[in-house]
Amino acid sequence: MADSVVITAPPPSRTASLVKSSARFALGGFLIVIWQITVQAGWIDPYLLPAPSAIALRTAQQLVSGSIVSDTLLTLYRAFSGFLLAAVIGISIGTLAARYKLAHWFFDPLVSIGFPAPKIAFMPLFVLWFGLGDQAKIAMVVLSCIFPIISATYLGTASIDRYLIWSARNLGLSQRRIVWKVVVPAALPQILSGLQIAFPLSLIVTVVTEMITAGGGLGGYMIMSAREALSEQVFVGIFVIATVGYVLLAGFDRLRRHLLRWHTETLSGL
Amino acid sequence: MSKILFSGVRKEFPGHGAAPVVALDGIDLAIERDEFVAVVGPSGCGKSTLLYLLGGFLELSGGQILVDGKRVTEPSPERGIVFQHFALFPWKTVLGNVEFGLAERGVGKDERLAIAKRYIDMVKLTGFEETFPNRLSGGMQQRVALARMLACNPDVLLMDEPFGALDAQTRYILQQELLEIWRQQKKTVMFITHDVREAVILAERVVVMTARPGRIKAVLNTKLTADDPRTKIDDLSEEIWSLLREEMALAS
Amino acid sequence: MVTIARRDGAGLLIAANAIGGTLVYYAPVALLLLVWELAARAGWLSAELLPSPEATYAALRDVLASGELAQQAYVSLMRELSGLVSSVIAGAIIGIAMARIEWARLLLRPVITFLYPMPKSALIPILLLWFGLGDMSKIAAVFLGCLLPVVISSYNGARGVDPLLVWSARSLGASKLGVLWKIVLPAALPDILSGIRMALALSWLLLVSAELLLAEKGLGYMIGYYGDTGDYATMFAAIITVILIGAFSDRLFLHLMAWSLRWRTLSS
Repeated sequence: MADSVVITAPPPSRTASLVKSSARFALGGFLIVIWQITVQAGWIDPYLLPAPSAIALRTAQQLVSGSIVSDTLLTLYRAFSGFLLAAVIGISIGTLAARYKLAHWFFDPLVSIGFPAPKIAFMPLFVLWFGLGDQAKIAMVVLSCIFPIISATYLGTASIDRYLIWSARNLGLSQRRIVWKVVVPAALPQILSGLQIAFPLSLIVTVVTEMITAGGGLGGYMIMSAREALSEQVFVGIFVIATVGYVLLAGFDRLRRHLLRWHTETLSGL
Repeated sequence: MSKILFSGVRKEFPGHGAAPVVALDGIDLAIERDEFVAVVGPSGCGKSTLLYLLGGFLELSGGQILVDGKRVTEPSPERGIVFQHFALFPWKTVLGNVEFGLAERGVGKDERLAIAKRYIDMVKLTGFEETFPNRLSGGMQQRVALARMLACNPDVLLMDEPFGALDAQTRYILQQELLEIWRQQKKTVMFITHDVREAVILAERVVVMTARPGRIKAVLNTKLTADDPRTKIDDLSEEIWSLLREEMALAS
Repeated sequence: MVTIARRDGAGLLIAANAIGGTLVYYAPVALLLLVWELAARAGWLSAELLPSPEATYAALRDVLASGELAQQAYVSLMRELSGLVSSVIAGAIIGIAMARIEWARLLLRPVITFLYPMPKSALIPILLLWFGLGDMSKIAAVFLGCLLPVVISSYNGARGVDPLLVWSARSLGASKLGVLWKIVLPAALPDILSGIRMALALSWLLLVSAELLLAEKGLGYMIGYYGDTGDYATMFAAIITVILIGAFSDRLFLHLMAWSLRWRTLSS
């Protein structure tokens, strides 16, 4: 047979891969060690930069007796709610704009202005409207996340290869079923890209809104700790949110890869 | 009655200024049942447009197209189509693609599987049923497209420069396999290509089109038999080439 | 859309068409403004919830005339620029280094992968501890927030450089550093610029957040201040100013991108 399937390179040797995987932690581990040493030796003020050991201890203590667990859950609740709401609204608007010229005409300038603008500037206004509770925060998350989703959905659905649609019609698909059976799957890579931008954004914005309103959650926890000069706790907050963020994004990425396992591999970032 | 009849077919597209672009200006062509006809012409002559009109994807600006005496108004699995860049559904496996039309028709799961497998075997892709298109070479993807179309058992095959995106070796192999399938299955084929030699080798008749606005310049009989001298392919190709050269000189 | 130029009054025709095009494009915004105005007139909006267009406009005029808006805007813009420019330079260097030097990649990549998912806004409290309420905390917020996106897009851009281009340059006598500067950087420019555009939007978010939280000057501070004192019209005027600056800077950057990439052919 003259045709051949795409060939993958042979796996590297055992020792080489062992070295490579432990090298991952090289710089990070090295920096942590230096960090510990410099603080312990007194070269750095432990108020400004607590030692890793102190942070670790404080984290353990907070996990047990502090509010950090419930704060984390609160932040996650707000972020997810905002994200999901933004996804539903954003995908709807995006597909509408791709389908109907009027919708596109209406939303295009709004998105092009809104996308790069710092929507967080509206936060004091939102507090005025919704009070200091969850609603204001979730609303701000929706407002912030919706633009990349609309944009990506529109791009994905508007730029579908017409030959895909024609093939589907040629094989007997009715116009109505084409939306679900062809348009959405074909646009999925783009839609997921938009969601992938919106997802970490939802966390960032939630934390900021919590800080601004001192309204609990991890953001509130951190800003209160800072205002009370409890620097160790601030770092605990950073550590927790970094870990949470890392786990969530890794999970999202896995989900995305699974959903798109049929897609031609694109040049992806780290 | 001819299988396919183009009468006075015209197609216009809206232009940039006031005047529309006339892609096709009065095409009259009859294609008989089980005939293999190729259409060649300079770039932009509208040959693909003609195919898309027959497929029902575009609307006529004038004239009519009849298949089995009935007007063509919309796409149908009875006039199966294969495109140059395969147009496979990338989120479906080979099997998923091939049985797509069958599923649409409501064919039951087991029967679908059996039919799809038969055609996957026919295009020599046995074993690749669960593979996604992104892991297949161009030639293999085009085979899937062929199987997908054939699984619906169309009378008419529409082929839009199907081997244009493939390397020369794969192209040659698939040409032979296409001829095989055509001889065995008995289908009416309309084959668009810019490769003159390919047209001569595959088709019984070759339609040569003019530059835009597209009209039929000439129709040559290119039926080849075992008795023909080896030079016949070259002679026919050269004849068609000289016709095309005239048109390309006009276009530039 | 541009019309074909005619010999008579051609320039006027094209200009009129372009202006007409822009007007049509932004018509939905005008529509919303109209709705806002009508709602205010009909009394549906209490002055607390959403100031009327007149009130906002009046407040805007006042704050412009007094020079306050210009002052605060200047402070914010300076912070923004300092943070952005420094993070772009640092980010591009790191990203390109990672793409071209194997050990840099091995060492830095895991660190970046770990740091990337962290919401940069979480760093704001720390910056408060370290730098207090001055300019530095805002500049640092912008710098840290924009650094990673620029690093990643520079990395991607530099990775994607066609090796044949590099080999051609080397065979024509370019040094290793020369190649980096003259070949890799221009080739990676499209990706880098896209990354900067993203970072730009993020930087405004961080700047405004930081100014809302820990500042005594700047537009973000202005919004918070007037909100606290109940002068909602001025607050809204400040909000609109911030939004417009954010949108406008993006527009400006797009033009800059188009201009610096004008050598790109359609195929790239």
